[in-house]
Amino acid sequence: MAANQSASGSSDSESPSLFDSSSQPAPNSRSFNRSVRVAEKERRKNEAEDPFVLALKFFSDVEAGTPAFGNDNLERNLVLVERVAYSKGLSPEAISVMLEFAMSLRMGTSPCVRVLKCLVPASVVPQEAVVRAMVWLGVCKIPASTQVLFIKWVLTIFDMIDAKDQLRAIYGFIFSFVTEEYLCPFVCHLLYLLTRKESVRHFRVQKLLELQSKLGRQPFLLHLLSLYKVFCPEYVTLSIPSRMKSGFRNHNSPWKSALIAVQRRNGSQIASSASLPSTIKDKTSSRKRKHYHLELPVLCSQVNKQAQTEPSLGRKLVPLVQLSSFTQLLDHMHRIELPAQMGSLLGSSLALQYLDCVQDEFALLRLNFWLGYALHEEFLFCGDGRASNSEEALQFLDKLLSTQHFLQESFSSTEVFLYKFLSVWDGSLLRPQILSLLSNIPVVPSSQIGRLLFEPLMQLFFTSSLFFKCGLIECLNSMLLKWLVWHSVYALEDDLDISLNSHTSVNMTLSGFKDSVMELVHFVGRLASVGLQLEGGHSLLLSFILDFYETVCDTFLKYGLPLIVMFPPGVFFPALLSPDPVSVDRLAYIMYRYKVNLTSAKNQEKGTEQAFHINRQTFREFNHYLVVMVSCLWNSRMFHSGMGVELGEELLLKSNVPQYSKSFDLVHHPAFLSYAVDFHHKCWPERKDLDLDSIKQSKPWSWYLEYLHNQGYDGLKQIVPAP
Amino acid sequence: MLHTFGKYKERAYLHTIILFIVYLSYNNYQFPADGKCSSHNCYSYNNLINCQLSACYKLLTLYNLTTRTFTFPTRRLAKSLPLPVENEESRPRIDLVVFIINLTSELSFQSTEASLKYLDPGYFLGKVCFMATNARNASVPTERLDAVRKLAASLHCPLLFAEDQTPDGVANATERLLTILKVAAGLVPMATPLYLSNLTRCTVPLDIDQPSFD
Repeated sequence: MAANQSASGSSDSESPSLFDSSSQPAPNSRSFNRSVRVAEKERRKNEAEDPFVLALKFFSDVEAGTPAFGNDNLERNLVLVERVAYSKGLSPEAISVMLEFAMSLRMGTSPCVRVLKCLVPASVVPQEAVVRAMVWLGVCKIPASTQVLFIKWVLTIFDMIDAKDQLRAIYGFIFSFVTEEYLCPFVCHLLYLLTRKESVRHFRVQKLLELQSKLGRQPFLLHLLSLYKVFCPEYVTLSIPSRMKSGFRNHNSPWKSALIAVQRRNGSQIASSASLPSTIKDKTSSRKRKHYHLELPVLCSQVNKQAQTEPSLGRKLVPLVQLSSFTQLLDHMHRIELPAQMGSLLGSSLALQYLDCVQDEFALLRLNFWLGYALHEEFLFCGDGRASNSEEALQFLDKLLSTQHFLQESFSSTEVFLYKFLSVWDGSLLRPQILSLLSNIPVVPSSQIGRLLFEPLMQLFFTSSLFFKCGLIECLNSMLLKWLVWHSVYALEDDLDISLNSHTSVNMTLSGFKDSVMELVHFVGRLASVGLQLEGGHSLLLSFILDFYETVCDTFLKYGLPLIVMFPPGVFFPALLSPDPVSVDRLAYIMYRYKVNLTSAKNQEKGTEQAFHINRQTFREFNHYLVVMVSCLWNSRMFHSGMGVELGEELLLKSNVPQYSKSFDLVHHPAFLSYAVDFHHKCWPERKDLDLDSIKQSKPWSWYLEYLHNQGYDGLKQIVPAP
Repeated sequence: MLHTFGKYKERAYLHTIILFIVYLSYNNYQFPADGKCSSHNCYSYNNLINCQLSACYKLLTLYNLTTRTFTFPTRRLAKSLPLPVENEESRPRIDLVVFIINLTSELSFQSTEASLKYLDPGYFLGKVCFMATNARNASVPTERLDAVRKLAASLHCPLLFAEDQTPDGVANATERLLTILKVAAGLVPMATPLYLSNLTRCTVPLDIDQPSFD
């Protein structure tokens, strides 16, 4: 007992224990020292009677072979420990004692499961305890299900183990458990978390391949092999699919709720007792942590605490946590050590800059693994009745979005997650975040884009409300914009079929990229045409669609992509005939930009031998639209043959509109009628009757056009320049 | 909103109804009192005493929010098909049949399959819709979701997903069903139910887990 006390007393400086020993800074004086000693004695005497301490003493001193069945002592003490565990969590010493008791099977196998289930740590877990328990795993005859439970426990509290170097030292020992079939998935997961470059050996790879031939291409084996491949590609020669399933499933269910409860109670104490002060702070310490797997861990170092005290200059690796400014990052760029938990990188901009610059494949793999796991856990494999739009979930997604915005690209795990989520999405859950994440997706090859993206989106689009439709069009617009910017930044201009190399794993040729862009534009064209029809030409939807086509019309001049795609008639005519003058004007502006792009493309075609060839069909379409627009608005020749909208004579007569062919010109168009009336009043204030046709005479007509241009309708001004 | 349904038989264009076919897991849902049901003009058939699925009940309560865009729509619940014979004359025209499937219960899916046989084939041209709840639940086996998708795809009908655990999710599901109903009842010019179902029909995706970009 006394030994325990002194041990706990000495290690108290780093982690709080159940016995809250505080040593306040005070001036050195003998009287002070004596009072401290007296206080210590008092404290020890009090704790000697503490029932929890007595229970721990029982568990550490009990003899091997004591019967468990009908043992009241055991029952009483176990209940006490469980109560403390579920309320406050167990201190590191308590965990050591209990784990040792359970795994050594001193009282047989029956209390083992119960003890393992109640091992809820309050702060950290000492790695010596875990290592000793691993040893017992190999030595004792623990039943298979209990072994599995133990490994699951290690996986659950893995992030809370204070240091991992001893565990890494026994990597080979842990690896030997891989041959047990019932343990294999969990051991693979544990090895995945512990692997470093030194641990990858040829014989281990062989062993895994042997297992694979026995068990089949199991996902856990594939994951571990892919990690080995990242470190030593020469050892692992088999092909591993580049995108794999979500990852290892979670195993923390027996402890999950208890962990959450304990952490909520302990609040920010846990962060302050973490092994290192982190100079790169993120706000996880103050946040309430209800969802354990969603928290971004505090940035902390991988190495043991003792190693920290050595001078970190020279050839030693500098942990990322110690850098606080960009210049420091530049100084130590070649010897940075990444933290233990990759999730913490998401919070710190320095870390992200480093990651972006260095392109460490191992780090990206780890980060993607963690991210994919967190996303799947929270949004795709939910428990019953838990709403996924809780505060933590929203914050997590917002943080992910700001990270992606900072890096100007997305993670591959986010992409995989989004495709799966879209197929079960109802269109309203976390809509703004999901649409933002969607717009960050990198270029999808045209063979996959229909199946992965367009089919679920189409179904959602046509069954959802107007606001979803607008939101989706905006999302696709920003997706197109990002693709175009990516192309203009990364394209290497060697010859025409250039390969667009970037650090995403997708290598694309220029023609492949153009195909994808064309698919996207055609898809939005389809959505827009039918959407406008279903919504009756709603001006809000039309405005978003015209935003999209403002991006599309300038692909050649603004973004340097040799591609010009016209809009479909289903967009042109609703815009031309819309009762909203801004839409008509924007349509005119878009037509003007198309004209500029087409003329410059044609000139370039003539000038150089660059085989950028625009389809004749595109020119024909553009010319047709231009003719329709001008004859409708300026020349009062609507409904004539060849002008796009063709209605039979009888039908037009039935409408009882006199002089129907000029019913949509700039004077009589429903959008501009109010301007015509206003102009009429200004021009001929003395006239009593309204005679709008008099505006069509040559002088008032030019004044009227000028009047419209002054109202801000630049599109009209540019498409038909004033003489 | 009480009507005598008899006179609406002639003026069928004014009267559109959705028939919900609800399949439930019989475990965890409470049965709200009958009084609440009738105040929202929910007509239950003889073999369905209560509005059993609490989410469906919420769907009904929120339905009133949308009547401003709609003249006299009503909705009815049934547990399974075929509908009982005794109410045949007073039953108005049915414009949309919605099968609500709770993915966490196997019984739900089985009842749906059994009821499909009783539906007139003309309905499958755009007047049938499937709605699945609890798709993101961890306890749902993937085979069941795949089977529902295959069923919807083979019938060329849309498959919608709904979040029935939150009021926002239920409101959104109601809105989506209304969008489909407007077209199915012929209230959107130039759009027929077959046209919409062609655009929104379910397709069975290949294995999403391994999109090979190589």
